[in-house]
Amino acid sequence: MSELILEAVNLEYSYPDGTSALRKVNLQVQKGERLAILGSNGAGKSTLFMHFNGIYRPNSGFIKYQGQDISYKKQDLIELRKKVGIVFQDPDSQLFSASVWQDISFGPLNLGLSEEVVIERVKQAMLDTETTDLEDKPTHLLSYGQKKRVSIAGVLAMEPEVIIFDEPTAGMDPRHSHEFMQILEKLSLEGKTIILSTHDVDLAYSWSDRLAIMYRGEIIAHGLPGELLTRPEIVKRADLTIPWLIETHTELVKKGWLPSSAPLPKTKTDLFQNIPAKSGQQSA
Amino acid sequence: MIAIDAYAYNNKLKSVHPAEKSLFAMLTMGMCLTSSTMLTPFIVLVLMAGGIVFKAGIPTRVLIRLLAIPMSFLLISVLTIAISVSTDSSGFWLAQTVKGFTIGIHYPDLLTAANLFLRSLGAVSCLYFLALTTPITELIAVLHTLKVPFIITELMVLIYRFIFVFLETATMIRRAQYSRSGYVSLKSSFRSMSRLFSALLGKVFVKYQDLYNTMAARGYNGEIRVLSQKRPISLRNYFFIAGIEIPLIILNLLWR
Repeated sequence: MSELILEAVNLEYSYPDGTSALRKVNLQVQKGERLAILGSNGAGKSTLFMHFNGIYRPNSGFIKYQGQDISYKKQDLIELRKKVGIVFQDPDSQLFSASVWQDISFGPLNLGLSEEVVIERVKQAMLDTETTDLEDKPTHLLSYGQKKRVSIAGVLAMEPEVIIFDEPTAGMDPRHSHEFMQILEKLSLEGKTIILSTHDVDLAYSWSDRLAIMYRGEIIAHGLPGELLTRPEIVKRADLTIPWLIETHTELVKKGWLPSSAPLPKTKTDLFQNIPAKSGQQSA
Repeated sequence: MIAIDAYAYNNKLKSVHPAEKSLFAMLTMGMCLTSSTMLTPFIVLVLMAGGIVFKAGIPTRVLIRLLAIPMSFLLISVLTIAISVSTDSSGFWLAQTVKGFTIGIHYPDLLTAANLFLRSLGAVSCLYFLALTTPITELIAVLHTLKVPFIITELMVLIYRFIFVFLETATMIRRAQYSRSGYVSLKSSFRSMSRLFSALLGKVFVKYQDLYNTMAARGYNGEIRVLSQKRPISLRNYFFIAGIEIPLIILNLLWR
């Protein structure tokens, strides 16, 4: 299980204008895991992602894919990008083509696949993201949520091993963010490694197997979500808040509604199950 | 332009193969421009207007509005051809003499003007037929099969897409400026407008870098390759095109 797939070692990066974006970042990503990267705006999440498939080159330190330092030769980069896909935050910068169908076909065609395989993959990706009925629509007539789903389809069609989502649910309505979480669930079951960045602490807490918290270009903590997010000093330092599930749980324990031995709930359902019915009202 | 674009994606001839529509529009335009009779442009105009309204299902008022756009240029040029001013009052078909100057119309000039008017309008209607029924993306695919160099078709793809991205950004900036009374006076209008343009210019460079990054992430290596939707090729449509063009050719030849 704990096979390393991606690794950042002592990564340092500063933008050409001198702003330091990453400072000594060390991060290990295990195959098949769900890793959430939490951090406020400008913490360096997107910059870190750009390193994972070789778009940015670190000033020092390196990225390893399956134990090997990645090479920045053209052919090797194409190989790497076949394995590591990124869904960017702003769908407008990702969708360059005016037609949904054409845009989704761009990635798989770059992998040198045959036309039949590409058509097959485009269709599957559209099914998975529920964009099939948009195939004839021009991208500029889509809503934000639709654009977002099309940009996800464009990466899914490349069938990468590791999929990185940069702020995926930002700007999505509740229904579509719920559907998006289902797509993630499906991808996880298929054994894909998923990295997701967000500043939504509730989402990160409930979804992830492991968590890394970034603050001003550094990873200030990483570990299990239940351990990190219960520590106010970390949460505060990173300009985040404690997930409402944990807060409610703590409050219920403090006021004696729950025994202190009660397990930390991971989802809303868990929490509700933990809460005992009032005596006299017990049913079923 | 935006209306044309919206109809191109949403009309009853959408699923017809773009090559068939292009061939039809271009051939008919050729017939219209090479004819020496006024009859051909007239037939072409009726044919294309009928195609746009009845076959493609575009509302008549949209077509009339679109045809009115070139009308102003057209009327000015047609009037300057038709009307002459001269000191010699002979040969006029319809004229008025004022203080030795004669303003009026020579009959041959009138014919030339009418011919030019119909011919231009006929050719424009062919272009509208194509523009209203065929999305740009599919036209680009046709150009591609015609072996137009990659660099040109790629630029067309990107320019087309970014027209809309920038239009949206500009609309948003303008709205934000309006909501802060950016256009209350002439002075503030000029200032707001100049800021809008400089903000857009800045965004061009940011967007360009973003686009490059996102394309690189999907394996871009210097050539944009995409698959186009397959449209059924219909033999019937080719027969239809031949059935329209051949009579027009004959008409043009007979009237030489």
